[in-house]
Amino acid sequence: MKILLVEDDREAASYLIQALDEVGHVTHHASDGETGYAMASGMDYDVMIIDRMLPRRDGLSIIESLRAEGDKTPVLILSALGEVDDRVTGLRAGGDDYLTKPYAFSELLARVEVLARRVSPSEAQTVYQVGDLTLERLSRKVERDGETILLQPREFRLLEYLMKHAGQVVTRTMLLENVWDYHFDPQTNVIDVHMSRLRSKIDKGHSSPLLHTIRGAGYMIRA
Amino acid sequence: MPDARPGEAGKGAPSAATVKNRRDGTPRPARQSLFARIAYLWRTTTVRLTFLFILIFVIAAIVLLAFMAYQSSVVLQRQQGADIDREIRQFQRMEMQQGAQAMALAVQRFANRPGAGVYYLGDDLGHQLVGNITGLPDNVLSTDGFYTFSYDRGGALGAGQGGPPDSTGYAVARSVTLPSGLRLVVGRDVVERRGFSEIIFQGFAIGMLGIVLLSVVAGGLTANRVLKRIDSISGTSAKIMSGALSERVQVTKRHDEFDALATDLNAMLDRIEQLMVGLKEVTDNVAHDLKTPLTRLRNKAESALREGRTPEQLREALETTIAESDQLIRTFNALLMIARVEAGTPSGAFAETDISTVAEDVAELYQPVAEDAGLALITDVTPGISMMANRELVGQALVNLLENAIKYAGREDGDGKVVLSAGRTDGRIVISVADNGPGIPEGDREHAIERFVRLEKSRTEPGSGLGLSLVSAVARLHRGELRLEDNAPGLRAVLDLPSD
Repeated sequence: MKILLVEDDREAASYLIQALDEVGHVTHHASDGETGYAMASGMDYDVMIIDRMLPRRDGLSIIESLRAEGDKTPVLILSALGEVDDRVTGLRAGGDDYLTKPYAFSELLARVEVLARRVSPSEAQTVYQVGDLTLERLSRKVERDGETILLQPREFRLLEYLMKHAGQVVTRTMLLENVWDYHFDPQTNVIDVHMSRLRSKIDKGHSSPLLHTIRGAGYMIRA
Repeated sequence: MPDARPGEAGKGAPSAATVKNRRDGTPRPARQSLFARIAYLWRTTTVRLTFLFILIFVIAAIVLLAFMAYQSSVVLQRQQGADIDREIRQFQRMEMQQGAQAMALAVQRFANRPGAGVYYLGDDLGHQLVGNITGLPDNVLSTDGFYTFSYDRGGALGAGQGGPPDSTGYAVARSVTLPSGLRLVVGRDVVERRGFSEIIFQGFAIGMLGIVLLSVVAGGLTANRVLKRIDSISGTSAKIMSGALSERVQVTKRHDEFDALATDLNAMLDRIEQLMVGLKEVTDNVAHDLKTPLTRLRNKAESALREGRTPEQLREALETTIAESDQLIRTFNALLMIARVEAGTPSGAFAETDISTVAEDVAELYQPVAEDAGLALITDVTPGISMMANRELVGQALVNLLENAIKYAGREDGDGKVVLSAGRTDGRIVISVADNGPGIPEGDREHAIERFVRLEKSRTEPGSGLGLSLVSAVARLHRGELRLEDNAPGLRAVLDLPSD
């Protein structure tokens, strides 16, 4: 995957570049807003990671210009500002996701990978399938190996989100944001408890589990 | 009196004091010369307003008095004119009915009466027959009309005039030609009336002088009194600015607008002082609660370097380090959030929010957590409660309350329960989280809301100690409050918000 990173803190940038390289992504780096904008408009990237506060040109204005030019490359905004309002302005400027500093690399990686494989709504499938598990979005029916599984509405949304991103790591905060629409960091293991309930409904009695816990990162559904 | 000090000032100290005062910008120098005091007074709004009022008042008084004087003279003149005309008609009638002789006698009789009456009767050639005035201007004797003229007083034929002879009089009079061809002039001496005007004018002048003097004195006293109060306020603020935060503006027992202002200022100062004390406490607590884990973090890293031999041990040490720093970040985020909420987040984040849905959602989110902790989470939410609110913050507040309840409400007998309820009471929105756990002793409840306070027995539990402070800040942001009550047994945390 080809990633553009616009970040003025050189140490943070070199750490990110190295970490992304280790998982097989090629990262180009710009350390100020103008250079970042020039690189973004000059080349095709799969994902752009743009810091919000940059020298010479701020992150949001880069995103606004790119979007105005019709560039639809997914953008992850990095910011030290983490309030709901800041998030809203960031997403309104054309950002696709928002991550507050300091962040865990696993969180950033999970979000970048989800962004890169983002599907536009028109292409969204109506049926998700992972192994012998199927989820029909319209009839809200879930079956595994021909057996119907009864889920609570929230459990259905949780599974739907996981299956939409099958094969990708989703973090606890991503789940809280996308399934519950809250943007805080829960102090207790609230997501884990929900996941273990879902797991007992999906995987119990089956020899090959589909829901996997990724240590230090989050969860993944895969066959 | 404020300028009672020039004696002291005259002994050489004044210029130094003034210079010093100017240099460090103290707004009201305490020691100053009389001239400086007057110059200062002249710059003040009160004094300027007072003088403006005096000026307006004097102008109004002059206009009023002038109008009155003019009016009274007009009335007098009209009255005299009417008297003169009546007498003339009387003489005319007499001449017609009783003949010129009788009329002339009557004129003479009138002329002899003491008073301001002026009479003249002469023939068409200008010879005077009877009367008490002479030396009339020619035009008065030749043409009918109303005149104002001077004459010789007492020069009349056989006159018994009261005035000194040969003095000049001043008269208003009407001159008419009688049917017999004789000229009759009837008038009134107006020296008397002039005198009256003079008296009015003198009274007016003295009155004006008195008014001006009185208003200057009254204005000066008022201004001085007002200025004293203002000086006292600005003196206090100067002291506060120089660091004496506990100084307060003096409030008198007069209950006037200055006392209202002073009371408000004092309330503001109380709030500021409270915030400053709060800030200091927070800084101290931040120092403690962030330094402790930072020290632990550092120690872990150091000991890992020193003792860590196997890769597993190193890995474990690093993982603990990351977990510790995550906890630090959490504490830091919570602090920032409280600070931003207390500063008042932009109203853009406020929207009509369905509080019932938020409560149900949060309860649903924590249902499994509560069950795992062996607690029954019961919801009692009236549907359709909505208000202008920040959904994220209200959600976060409820999460904090629930996490608190779940963390501390555990009971040995496994009969613990947490009740989340939301409803309307007396036009207010009341959301509460009640548990039947050990609760918080009454004396500690107020304390529990403060930042970083983790009551002694909870010291060992994880958490930043900021949960309830954030809830309280969120409540205040929504113009409500957080109350901790006795649930007998257990704790009941009540979020009491206004519904509009």
